[in-house]
Amino acid sequence: MSLIDEDNTPFETSDPSDLDLKLKTSIETLTQILGPISSLSSSSQDPSLTLLHDPNLTQTISNHLKLPNSGAGDNNLCRWLYDTFQSSHPDLQLVVLSFLPIIGGLYLPRAIVRAASLAGFEAILLALYAHETTSRDGQPITVSIPDLSNSSLYHESKAPVKNKAVELNMAIMSPSLEPHGTVRSTKRARIVGVALELYYKKIASMPITSKIEFCKFCLVWADGNGDELGKKASLGDEEGMSTTSNGGEEKSEPKEEKSWRRVPLPWELLQPALRILGHCLMGPNRTKELTDAALAATNSLHVRALQDVDSQAILATGSLLRLGTMATETSPEPDHTEIRDYMNPVISL
Amino acid sequence: MSESLVYDEVENPSTVREVCANGLRMETSAVEAKLDEGNIQEAESSLREGLSLNFEEARALLGRLEYQRGNLDSALRVFDGIDLHAAIQRLQPSIVTEKRSSRRSHSNESVSTGSQHATGLLLEAIYLKVKSLQKLGMIAEAAQECKSILDAVETIFQSGIPDVQVENKLQETVPKAVELLPELWRQVGNYQETVSAYRRALLSQWGLDDDSCGRIQKAFALFLLYSGVEANPPSLASQVDDSYVPKNNIEEAILLLMILLKKFHFGKMKWDPSVMEHLIYAFSICGQASALASQIEEFLPGVVNRCDRWNTLALSYSAAGQNKVALDLLRKSLHKHERPDDLLGLLLAARICSEDSLLAFEGVGYARRAVANAVGKDEHLKGVGLRVLGHCLRKQAKVASSDTERSHLQSEVLKSFNEAIAFERDNPDILIELGVQYAEQRNSNAALGCAKQFIDVTGGSLLKGWRLLALVLSAQQRYSEAEVVIDAALDETAKWEQGPLLKMKAKLEIAQLKPMDAIETYRFLLALFQAQRKSFGSPGSHMVQVEDDNEFEVWFDLAKLYSRLSQWKDAEICLEKAEAFKPHSASILHSEGVMNEGRGQIEEAWLAYLHALILDPEHAPTLISIGELLRKKGSMSLPVARSFLCDALRLEPTNRAAWYCLGMIHKDDGRTADASDCFQAAAMLAESDPIESFSSVL
Repeated sequence: MSLIDEDNTPFETSDPSDLDLKLKTSIETLTQILGPISSLSSSSQDPSLTLLHDPNLTQTISNHLKLPNSGAGDNNLCRWLYDTFQSSHPDLQLVVLSFLPIIGGLYLPRAIVRAASLAGFEAILLALYAHETTSRDGQPITVSIPDLSNSSLYHESKAPVKNKAVELNMAIMSPSLEPHGTVRSTKRARIVGVALELYYKKIASMPITSKIEFCKFCLVWADGNGDELGKKASLGDEEGMSTTSNGGEEKSEPKEEKSWRRVPLPWELLQPALRILGHCLMGPNRTKELTDAALAATNSLHVRALQDVDSQAILATGSLLRLGTMATETSPEPDHTEIRDYMNPVISL
Repeated sequence: MSESLVYDEVENPSTVREVCANGLRMETSAVEAKLDEGNIQEAESSLREGLSLNFEEARALLGRLEYQRGNLDSALRVFDGIDLHAAIQRLQPSIVTEKRSSRRSHSNESVSTGSQHATGLLLEAIYLKVKSLQKLGMIAEAAQECKSILDAVETIFQSGIPDVQVENKLQETVPKAVELLPELWRQVGNYQETVSAYRRALLSQWGLDDDSCGRIQKAFALFLLYSGVEANPPSLASQVDDSYVPKNNIEEAILLLMILLKKFHFGKMKWDPSVMEHLIYAFSICGQASALASQIEEFLPGVVNRCDRWNTLALSYSAAGQNKVALDLLRKSLHKHERPDDLLGLLLAARICSEDSLLAFEGVGYARRAVANAVGKDEHLKGVGLRVLGHCLRKQAKVASSDTERSHLQSEVLKSFNEAIAFERDNPDILIELGVQYAEQRNSNAALGCAKQFIDVTGGSLLKGWRLLALVLSAQQRYSEAEVVIDAALDETAKWEQGPLLKMKAKLEIAQLKPMDAIETYRFLLALFQAQRKSFGSPGSHMVQVEDDNEFEVWFDLAKLYSRLSQWKDAEICLEKAEAFKPHSASILHSEGVMNEGRGQIEEAWLAYLHALILDPEHAPTLISIGELLRKKGSMSLPVARSFLCDALRLEPTNRAAWYCLGMIHKDDGRTADASDCFQAAAMLAESDPIESFSSVL
C-alpha cells in the first residue's frame, strides 16, 4: 500500500532550484548504475532533454531493461525509474514514461511464465497507475455521442428540437479506478492498460524510438512470436542486441523461446494500445520507420482479433489497418492551399 | 480602373510568360532579367510604366511572378518592400465607412469595389509571402503572417462579407489562408494554436465552399483523434440554446466525422472511404458499437459494397451485443450469390450460433465452411475455425434427440478441439473449452490438465481458469483442495470481482457440511454487493444489472440452504429478497414448492410447481419435483411421473436427482433391473458432481 499512500502529485511545477537538485541527484544515480554517460557531460542541452532524446543513452537503458532478470525488486535501474517517477519532476517523469513500452512489453509475457521476480517492474507500473488514479480522482472517462438531429457546435439542424432533454449515447472509455497496492494477476492487464493511458496522454512528448519499441512489443503480445525482437531481448546481453542476425535464428534457445507467449488481450489493455497505434499511424511527426512498425503491429493485432472472433477488436484493428494501408498506397492529395493559377503563365491582376 | 482590373480569364495557349493588367499586356522576359540581376526596383518601375500600375500593385505582381518562377527568396525580398500591414491598415477605416455608406446609398459602389480589389491584392501578396515562407521551411514565420491575414480580414469585415459584389481574389485567398493556418501551426508543433485555428476556421464565417469546409473538418477530426494532444474543450460560450458542445477530443472528432458523413449523404461532398474508417475506429475505441451501427444503417445503397456494409454492420451489432440482428445480416452476406466463402463472416456467424443450441446446427455448417476455406494466407484461421466448430457441436449435442447422436457429437467435439490445439498450441480459449468438455464427459483427469494448463498460459490472469480447476476438484469431491484453489484465486482478485469466487466458496463449505461457514460467506458476499452498489450507483447501468443477477443468486442459494436446514422462516425471508430481483422466476416458485412440501403443505406445493412450469416449461428441477410428487401419489400416476422425469433427463442428462427419482419409479413399478441401472447412474454422478455446472465458467 505504501505506493499509493505516498504523496504523489507529479507533473506539477515546484520550486525550480528544487527541481534542479532532483535532476542532478537523478543523473548522479543513473551514472552510478550505467557508468559514465558521455552525452550528459558533453551536451550543452538541458540534461532532462538529453535523458529523453539521446539515442545512445536510450539504447543503453533499453538494453539494461531487456536483461533477463531486469524486473527484479532489487534491480537498480528499476529502482532508479521508480524513484525518478516519484520525484515529481515533470521532465524526468516523461523520461520514465518513455520506457513504459519496454517495461509493460516485457512484464506481461514474463508474468505469465513467472520465471523471474518482477517486483521492480510492478513497482514502476503501480506508480504510473497510482499517478493516473490520483490525477483523475478514480473517476471513469465517459464519452457521449451526439445526435445529429439536434444542433451542435458545428452544425445546425433544421428540425426543431422536439424533446428538450437531449438524449445522448453515453459510453465509458475507461472505467473508474480502484487503488491497488500490489499487482494481482487478474488486474495485470488493467494496470498496464492504465499506464498506457497515461503514456497516450503524454505521447506528443515521447521520442519516436519509444513508440517504435511499443509497436514491436504489440507483436509479441499478439502472437507470442517475439520474432527478432523476442530473441534479442531474451538473449539479454548487449552483443545479442547490437547484432541483428548473426545466425540468431539457428541458435534459438528453446528455454528462452518459451518465454514468449501470447498475452491475454482484454479490451482494457487492447483499447489504449490501439489508441497509441492510431497515433503512430496517423498522428503528426511520424517517420516511415514508425508507420511501418505501427502497421505491422496493427496487422498482428488484427489477426489476433480474428482468432479471438472479438467483434469490437476486429472493428477497431480492421479500420486502423485499412487506414494505414490507405495512407501508404494513395498518392498525396493536391495542395489545396496553393494559389489557383499557379501554373498559368499569364499573370493577371 | 476598377473595370480594367477585373480578373482576366483569357487563356494564353503559348508558354510565354505574360503579365496583364488595365487592358495592357507585356512579356515578362525583360522584367525577369532585371529580377535575376537582383534589381527589384528597376523591375518594378518597368512594370509600373508598362502596365500603368501603382507601387503596391507592381510589387504584388512582381512577387507573384517570382513565386511562380520558384524564386522564393527573391519573392520574399519583393514582398518585404511593401509594408503590407500598414497598407491594409490604411485601407481599413475607409472600407468600414464605405461599407456602411454603401448600405445607405449605392452611389459610391465603384469606389468600394476598387478598395476591395486593393485589399484583395494585398491579402494575396501576404498569402504568397506565407506560401514562400512555408516552402522555405520557415513555418513559424509563415504561421504568424497567415494569422495576420485572418486577423486583418476579420477586422475589415467585422459584420461579415459586405453585400456588394465580392471580389474574386479575396474570395480565393481567404479560404486558402483559413485552411493553411492550422496546418502551419501543426507543423510548428504549436498544438494549442492549431486547435484554435481549426475552431476559428469552422466557427467563423469565411465563405468557405463545401469542399474546403469538409477538408478542414476532416483534418481537424484527424488531429483530434490521433495527435495525442488533449485540446481544451470548446468554451460553452459558443453554445447556442441546447446545441451540443463536445467536451473532449474524441467527442469533437466524432461529431465532425458524423457531420462529414451527413454531407456525403446529402451529396454535398464526394464520398471519402477514409472518413468511414476513421469513424469506425473512433466509435469502436470508445465502445459505441450501437451508435456505429446506426451510422452505417443510414448509408444510401451504392455507396459501399453491400457485403462490406452487411459485414461491418454485423460486427457492430455483435459488438453491441445484438447477436440476432448480426446473424441475420451475415446470412445475407454469406448467401451463395454473395460471398459464401468470406472467412470473417463465416467465423462470426459460427461464433454467434455457438451461443444458442437451437442455432448450433447452422453454426456447424458455417464453421465447417470456415475450416475448409482457411487455406493459403488464411491458414492461421484454421485453428479458430476448428475451435468454433467444436463449440457449435457442443451446443448441438445438448439438444441431440438420441443418446447415439449425442455421443457421436461429443466425440466430434473432442476431435475438433484437439485438432484446433494442433494449430494454436497454448490458446487459452481452446484449453478452457476442451477442459469443460472433458469435465462434462466426466473425464476429470483430462479436464484437470486443461484447467492447469489454462492457468499456466494466462498467468492466472483470467478467473475462469481458477474456477474450472476448483469445479473439477469439487466433482472429484476433493473439496478442501478446491477451497485452496478458490482462496488462491481470491488472492489474485480485486474485491469487486470476488463475487463468483465467494459463491463457489460458500457452496464448497456446504458440500463439506459447514453450513454456518457458508452462511458467513454469503453474508460477506451480500455486504460486498451493498458496498459495490454504493460506489457505482447509477441504476440501469450494465454493471448494476450484473450485480442484481448475482445478488439474486445469493439470496436464492441462501434460501435453499436454510430450507435444507429446515429453518423455514429464514428461508422464506431469503426467498422474498430474491424475488425482489426477479419477480417471475420459475426457480423461486420451485423453491417455494420445495418449502411447502417440506412443511407438509402438499396442495400449496402443487400450486407452486405448476406455476413454475407455466413460467418455464423446461425447468428441470420443477419437472423432477413434480415427478417425485406424482410417484408418491401411487401406482396410478407412475407413467405420468416417468414422463416428467424423462423430460428432465433430456434437458439435464447428468442430473443425479432425476436419475435417482426415475430409479424409484422403476422400483415402485417393479422393474428392478431398470431401477438398479438408474441408481447406479445416480451414484456415479453423485461421485462426480461439481458444485456448479461446468459450463458456467465459459
